[in-house]
Formats: sequence, C-alpha cells, structure tokens
Amino acid sequence: MPLDTSAYGLALLRVDGRRWNELRRMHAQIRTQAAADGSSYLEMGHTKVMCVVTGPSEPGPRRGGLGGTASGGGASSAQSKDAEVAVSIVVAGFSSVDRKRPGRGDKRILELQSTISSALAASLHTHLFPHSTISISLHVLSQDGSLLAALINAATLACVDAGIPMTDYVVACTAGSTSTYAANDEAADPLLDLNHQEEQELPGLTVATLGQTDRVAVLVCESRVQVSRLEGMLAVGVDGCKQVREILDRVVRDKGHRMLLEGTVERGAGLDDMEVD
Amino acid sequence: MPREAEPSLNEKQFLLQAIQENLRLDGREPDQYRPLGLTFGDEHGVADVTLGKTRVLARASAEVTVPYADRPLDGVFTIATELSPMASPAFEVNRPTETEVLLSRLLEKTVRRSGALDTESLCLVAGQKCWSVRVDVHVLSHDGNLIDASCFAVVAALRHFRKPDTSIEGGVLTVYTPAEREPVPLGWLHSPFCVTWSYFGDEGETALLDATRAEEQVRVGSCTISLNRHGEICQIAKLGGTPVDALMLLQCTSIALAKVKEISSLLDRKLDEDTKQRNKGGRAAELTAENDR
Amino acid sequence: MAATEQPIVLPGDAIDPSLIPTHKKQPLRLGPGLRHIPPSYIVPTVAGQLVTDQKKNSMWIEYNSTRYIPSANDLVIGQVQRSATDLYYVNLSPYTSNAMLPHLAFEGATKKTRPQLAAGALVYARVTLANRHMDAELECVSATTGKAEGLGPLVGGMAFDVSLGLARRLLMARSREAGGVEVLELLGAEGLAFETAVGRNGRVWVSSDSAKTIVLVGRALRETDEGDLGVEKQRKLVKKLIRGMR
Repeated sequence: MPLDTSAYGLALLRVDGRRWNELRRMHAQIRTQAAADGSSYLEMGHTKVMCVVTGPSEPGPRRGGLGGTASGGGASSAQSKDAEVAVSIVVAGFSSVDRKRPGRGDKRILELQSTISSALAASLHTHLFPHSTISISLHVLSQDGSLLAALINAATLACVDAGIPMTDYVVACTAGSTSTYAANDEAADPLLDLNHQEEQELPGLTVATLGQTDRVAVLVCESRVQVSRLEGMLAVGVDGCKQVREILDRVVRDKGHRMLLEGTVERGAGLDDMEVD
Repeated sequence: MPREAEPSLNEKQFLLQAIQENLRLDGREPDQYRPLGLTFGDEHGVADVTLGKTRVLARASAEVTVPYADRPLDGVFTIATELSPMASPAFEVNRPTETEVLLSRLLEKTVRRSGALDTESLCLVAGQKCWSVRVDVHVLSHDGNLIDASCFAVVAALRHFRKPDTSIEGGVLTVYTPAEREPVPLGWLHSPFCVTWSYFGDEGETALLDATRAEEQVRVGSCTISLNRHGEICQIAKLGGTPVDALMLLQCTSIALAKVKEISSLLDRKLDEDTKQRNKGGRAAELTAENDR
Repeated sequence: MAATEQPIVLPGDAIDPSLIPTHKKQPLRLGPGLRHIPPSYIVPTVAGQLVTDQKKNSMWIEYNSTRYIPSANDLVIGQVQRSATDLYYVNLSPYTSNAMLPHLAFEGATKKTRPQLAAGALVYARVTLANRHMDAELECVSATTGKAEGLGPLVGGMAFDVSLGLARRLLMARSREAGGVEVLELLGAEGLAFETAVGRNGRVWVSSDSAKTIVLVGRALRETDEGDLGVEKQRKLVKKLIRGMR
C-alpha cells in the first residue's frame, strides 16, 4: 500500500503521528547478559536489536578476510598492530513481515558487517590491544526501518559496556525527504528517523557521527534523490544523531548509578569529587 | 594463500607526507582522474575500460527465461563480478574477498536498484517469458579505483548492447537472429556513474579523487557517490573509516556531480563514434524506412 | 671491456658460429640465458639480445623479465617482514618466499648493539647465497672488509618499482654508454639534490629533503621505464618535468 504523503502537507504529521524532526521511542539497556564482556539491547521504535561483545581476546583461527573484519595497517603480516574488530550479524527469520532466513554469505549482511566493523574500528582505541580480536555479535529480533542505525547504536553501547576505550560514541540515525527524485519542489521537508514504510517509499539515508561532533563516520544512501536534498537530509540526520547520543549517554549513566546503589560495583577512589547524577 | 603485498614503512610515510603537501606520485591534482579510455568490442555489449593501469572488461548478454514468480511483469537483470588472480595475486578464484563483496554491492545499488535499466521493457509474455540480461564484469588489472572503472564499464556495455528483436503473434514468441532483423537497444532510463573519494589525514581532512593502489593502501576512509548527469544521487556509500566532516562530504558531492557530467559526455561521444563506425557501409541508410521525395 | 651489439635471439635459436668469441688462452664463459649442450651446442634459453665480450671471452643474453630470481653478489632492496630469533625475514619481490638476513650481518653489530628493524622497513643488502633449492640469504656488510659500504637500513625516502631491465641498466658502471640510461644524471645536472639506491630486484629508493624532488624523480623513472625511452627522449622528458615543476 503506497504511503500517503499527500496528507503530510496538510497536518504536518506523519503516518505514526510524529512531526518531521521527532525520533521514535528509543529504549536501551546495557549489561543484559552477565556472561559476556559487554552486552546491550536497543529498540528504535519497533526495530529491536541485541548485541554481545567479547574481547579484546586471543585472535581465533584466521578467516580469509571475508566480510566483517577490519583492522588497522599491517593487516596482512602475521601480527597486526591493531586489534581486529570482527562483526557477525544474525537476522532472525521472524524479524520482518515475511518469514525469511537470509543464508550465510548474503552480500547485504556482509556489507553491513563490514560497515559496522570499520565504523567502530575508527573510534575504538584498537592500538592499545595489538594481536587481539574484539568480537561483536548482533542479533536482529524485529525490523521496522533504520536497521543499520540500530545496529551501530547497539554495538556502540555494548562496547561501552565492555569497557573498551573509545574516542566517543558512534551514534547513527536515519533521515529522509518527502520529495520524489524528479521533483524540484522547494516545499519538501526532510524527515528524521524513518520507519519501514517510509524507508520503502521515500528517499532516505543512514548517517552515523562521532558523538556530538559534525564528523560523519558512516553515510549510506540507497535511494535516488536530488543532490539539493542531500544537504537538508544530512543536517537533519546529524542533528538526530546528537539527540541519540544524549539518550544513549543517559542510559549508560543511569545504569552506572544503579550499579553503585546496588553495591555491584565499589565506588572508585576520587569519585567523591565527581558529580554522579 | 598469497596475501596483499604490504607497502613498506618508507613508502607509507612518504605517501602521507606528500599528500599533506598536496603532491601526488603521478603529478595529478587532488580532483583529477587518470586518463579514462574506452574501447568497444566487435560484438555489441563488450566494453573495455582503462583508468590509468586499472583495466576492466564488461560484457552484456541476454537470453529468454522465466521471470521471477513475485515479479511477473519485470525482466531479470544481474551483474556478476569476477576478481581473479589476473587482477592481482592477492585475489583467489571463487573465494570472495571483502573487496569483491563491496564492489558487487555497489554496482547492484548503482545500476540495478536505481532503475537505470527499464526492467519492464524486458518483459515478453507476462508471467511466462522475459529477457534475462546479464553483465559480467572481469577485472583484468587492479591499480586502484575498481569501483569507478567497473561502473563505467557496466553502463557502457549496457548502452552498447543490442538485444535480438522479437515479435509475438497469437501467443507464439519469435526471436529474430541479427541476420533477420537488426537487434534493438535496451530500454535505458538514466546513466549512473560512480565517483570514489579517498580520505587521508588524522581527521580525514584531505580528499583525493581516483586513488591508485598505493594511495588506497594508506587511506583512512573512502566514500563512493553515484550520480547521473541530471543531478540525482543514486547512492552514497561511506562505509566506516575515519569520520569526516559533514561539510567536506557535501563539497565532495558537488565536485562529483561536475565529474559525472564530464564522464557522461565522454561516454556519449564514444558511443556516437562507435555507431558512426559501424554504419560506415551505410547500413543505417539501408535500414531506415524513409523514402526520398 | 668492449661489448658489441648483437642480434636478438629467441629460445632454441641456433647461434651463428662467427659470433662466438674465441681466445687463445681463456675458456669461453657463458653467462645468464645460455645453455651448453656438450659437445658443441650453445643454445639460448631466453629471448633477448646476445652480447659478447672479446676481452673476457664471455657471452650472455640481456633480457628483461618481471620476476627477480636472486643470484649471488647482487645488490637488492628488500622489505623486512618479521624478525625471528637470529634473523630477519626479508622479502625481495612480492608474493615470493622470503630471504634471510642474519641479525649480526650489519657493520659493527654484536648481540647487544645491533640495528632493530621494524616490520616494513627497507634494507639495502647483498645476496650471499642463492640457489634454486633454498631461500636466498643476504648480508648488509661486506664479508671481506667488514664495512657497510652503503648497505644497511634505508631511512626515509620512497621506494619505486621499476622493471628488472631498467634496474640492471641503472646499476651498470657506465650507465650512459652501456645502458643508455641517463635520466638520473640529467636530473642531478638540473640542480635537484637527491640520493638513490638501486636494487637489482626492480626497486629504486630515492631520498631527498624535498618531497617534490622525490615525486619528480619517481615520475622520470616510471616514464623512462614504461616508454622505453632512449637517451634523447630522456633529455626531453627531464626538461618537460623541470618546466612543469617551476
């Protein structure tokens, strides 16, 4: 059923009742699995993703560089100077409307793995752990648009939970535009955080930034759109990423606060001087 | 398994230093492409592209098959990429490397998903017969920037290709050989081209166009932008790597548009030359149905 | 040492007996590319130019190949791959097996004071041992005098790849007459200050204070190599590059 964007101009509300610059309900938890080094669970609207991080640990048997691994310079010599970030994504068969099980070696999944791997490798301080591997496992439980963005956010949270040193959060979100590719209408508005229906009908892109800065780590646009729309979408996307970062940061701090209250963690020396809110 | 030959420390350091000083090893400007060469084969649909020392061959072919069950009105269009040890000893046959996966995904998104080829025009009998167009891309030599060269080769091959003419009478499909009826070109909607930028420096502040193999090995990030000359972005892929300022990306996109227009006119010119050459014998005049009055 | 111009031969060709040099006392020496089938057949095994030397009573074939095969006493530029207990594994050409360079084969090296080479460093070395059955061995010090004589790790600069034929011509004592390669001298004559090291395995290391000079030298080498330029064309190339730089 084609998305009815004609009504957008009248009430400026999207099908799910959001305005153009509103994110969907985002809910995240960290340390969901006690057995793993780091774990997280993230919901962006109805897109639900789980992530587990193990590492840095001994490198496993070397795979032939097939999708999902990224390391710094010197990757081909027997010892690499940086830790390798290995990502594996499993999409559950029940995650989308039709039951589909993408087999191993599905190129779309391989591309996602490679993207997340190199996005995180740019932020994690991999030079501190030479000759080791950081393994990130992502499971997609439900898909409703913005899949890559949710995967990146979940992976970042899990790495924060695992305590791997990083420069800043790598946060992602999607942005779209109500214009079609041929039209030159000036009245087209950029939209923030697309759901599945909007992703199928409207041009959109996924953008990931490094924390609060304007530096873009990942930019993926798979639909046809006029060049003039790009600036608007990118600006809205970067802005949305800043909002996402706030949310994720608050989740991490809340969890830390709760762990202090429960006594799971001893209050570190010098923390009395810091403000824990 | 032979792995990528790593450049030495001296080479890496020098390349980075030279790029900081705005010098490239072959004396090009930061936004200058290497000389782009295109030759067509004798058969329709064979395009041989050279971009400096990178060489890619694309071949388009078509056959009649059954359409997909969920898309009875569309034809089948596939792009297959081959990275063999001919391109570089680091590749192995039948073992897809990350480069190959990314290359084929980018070509898919740029040419197939953007609707450059009108798949509805490939339909012959709804639900039963359709054309299946297949483009095989072979990388003959790898000296950097496979993506741009491959995309150009694919588009050139498809625009050069002629499929056999058909007619349907009472449910019977007749496919004419080239001797009986002149083959017809494919239904082509727009020509997308890829432009790949490589980033260098701690914050990705220096951007270069069309990196050679040596430059690719020391880059910290890359972004491939696919556009057609009407200013429509078909896809953008910056898959990780060092984060780059958003304004820089927008600048890269606008320079990319200018380059795509140049490349597009180059392709049009080459296609025209080729058509003229084939019609030297005056075949075009023979085939037209106009009468002189 | 008069080397005369001779015809191009293909593998298996018969050599005109009048071309084979004769000498009263010295036996005939065959160099690379020729094979002796007793009693009296001399057959070329590679395609190239047959060169004879009357004074030394020797003949060999000048040929250009792309795969470097190590032979003793060659000067090569290698890239250190990794370090084992007593030696470095040094790679001479990509995708081939490594040559071995002992840790102590440097000038004035003892167990405590030896140069530490990181993976990826370049060294200028001489091949000591090379035969078909074993990996090659290198040294960075002259075995007789104990001095480095220019060998050792190469710091800074840039390494360019050239064809083996050009590397051999660059290494000839009188490269202008014998090899027909003048491009480096011409660049020096134009006032560019740089130093080079040529490896027989097809690598040339260039170092200079200014990156522009290094890029220029690299371009000159590459165009001489690919265009197969003669001395006249090399002069024109150098002039064009210098003009482009200024």
